[in-house]
Amino acid sequence: MTFEQLTAKLEALFPEKLNCYTEFKCNFIKVKDAAAYKAVLTALRDEASFKYIVDVVAVHWPKKREKFELTINLFSIQNKLRVFVKVAGEDNKFPTITDIWAGANLMEREQYDLMGIVFEGHPNLKRVLLPEFFEGHPLRKDFPLKERSWFNNADEQGLGLKFSR
Amino acid sequence: MINNNISEVITVNMGPQHPSTHGVLRLVVDIDGETIVNVEPDVGFLHRGTEKLAENRTYHQVIPLTDRLDYLSPLSNNLAYCLAVEKFFDVKIPERAEYLRVILAEMSRVASHLVWIATHALDIGAMTVFLYAFREREDILDMFEVGTGQRMTSSWIRIGGIRADMPEDFFVRLKSFTDKFDSCVDLYENLLTNNRIWKMRTIGIGHLSAEDVQVYGTSGPLMRGSGVDFDLRRDEPYGIYDRFKWEIPVEEAGDTYARYKVRMKELRESNKILQQALEQIPATGEVMTDDPRVALPSHEDVYERMEALIRRFYIVSKGFKAPKGETYQGIEAPKGELGFYLVSEGEERPYRMKIRAPSYVNLGALNKMAAGHMLADLVAIVGTNDVVLGEIDR
Repeated sequence: MTFEQLTAKLEALFPEKLNCYTEFKCNFIKVKDAAAYKAVLTALRDEASFKYIVDVVAVHWPKKREKFELTINLFSIQNKLRVFVKVAGEDNKFPTITDIWAGANLMEREQYDLMGIVFEGHPNLKRVLLPEFFEGHPLRKDFPLKERSWFNNADEQGLGLKFSR
Repeated sequence: MINNNISEVITVNMGPQHPSTHGVLRLVVDIDGETIVNVEPDVGFLHRGTEKLAENRTYHQVIPLTDRLDYLSPLSNNLAYCLAVEKFFDVKIPERAEYLRVILAEMSRVASHLVWIATHALDIGAMTVFLYAFREREDILDMFEVGTGQRMTSSWIRIGGIRADMPEDFFVRLKSFTDKFDSCVDLYENLLTNNRIWKMRTIGIGHLSAEDVQVYGTSGPLMRGSGVDFDLRRDEPYGIYDRFKWEIPVEEAGDTYARYKVRMKELRESNKILQQALEQIPATGEVMTDDPRVALPSHEDVYERMEALIRRFYIVSKGFKAPKGETYQGIEAPKGELGFYLVSEGEERPYRMKIRAPSYVNLGALNKMAAGHMLADLVAIVGTNDVVLGEIDR
């Protein structure tokens, strides 16, 4: 199945809801209606053999109306085809896809940790790379690069330490 | 009287200073007696914020950051990143550079697998293999030193080609290495493949089915050890891998022993690719593209032509602009699918760079592999996962 055939199949299933395009040799499926996002992913897995989940990517666009964009990277081993399913939202809340691909668990936790995307329904949504007491989400564009306070100002371990510059 | 039916789950801590976690991996293990109920990896001790750092550097300046991800095969990381940037420009890479890239990437794969077999065997009690595998890895690192000037973090693959051509000594050493390497693999296999203790420690341990590996996204040898015939070098070809003849090893069993056999065969197949590349490589030629959008002008040009001097100064000080858009390139790194997802806003630096690190994703299946096994088998399971913490924590 080529990307054109896949596009035709998906357009029939989800009319007016998708925008499929190819950019720099990568195939993108933009889900315009965020409500159909999980239905599109389930259809890709069940009817187009996209069983292998590669990655979950979140991008912050502070100047756009839809501030957060999520890209799911999928590969079909049967058809040797890679697609990127994109969905955008005004706030940082998206439904989880851990019930479709169990491997999305750790990928979504990373995006929550670094980008602050809240995946609703995720079984174990907590920080993974940064410590629990870290404040803020560093991959957001409004995260300050300079003049940051000590990240463990709270003296979590009760050692009687004072932090100052 | 002892009641043997007591079932009590206790939580124990393993790492981050445990020798078999290959770095700073902490595992929080819930055990019932000696049986593992649940494993939760606690990572991030080595987090350096590579993705954030990349957003404030030019495309050239990101290359040294990629070296420090999977520090056992730095040239594979360079290759994945450079291929991703080259997708923006559709650069034509010179023939000799393409061959040298394949040679460097396959040498990295051999070096990475050798460290894996050495430490994995050491963890579960086979001490001897460690010494032999590190002897051959030393040869490869010496070749890297001759060719690129650095043993590990060489940053030798650049956007548009490679940094410079290799000296003659590099090819002489590589030729003698490929000639003897098959017998070296025979040596490791003699020590392990039919070793009864090795089989008892690995057969049936850490099982993943063909369905599981796709659902969990575990790529590379973990996928091929579970009977899924998938290799990005063949299925989504990049570079010139379509010119070589080699086989993709697949094992059906899906346990630690099957993954061991897959990796041992991969060593032989990489050696085949290296031999073919050495035969086919053109004797002379450029190793850097002359595409003015990405390549630095040569020194000879810079000394003689004003425009080349300006261009060089501009690329070094300010960087080159990539077109607006998004792209992704995944390669078959030693650990699995290593990918770089780049978002460009038409500036000199990536707007967002997401690293798809194979070790990190493979770690997601750790609980699935370990649950129900004994605590001592966890060491074998972490070993077969082939984790590198530089890549997991990024």
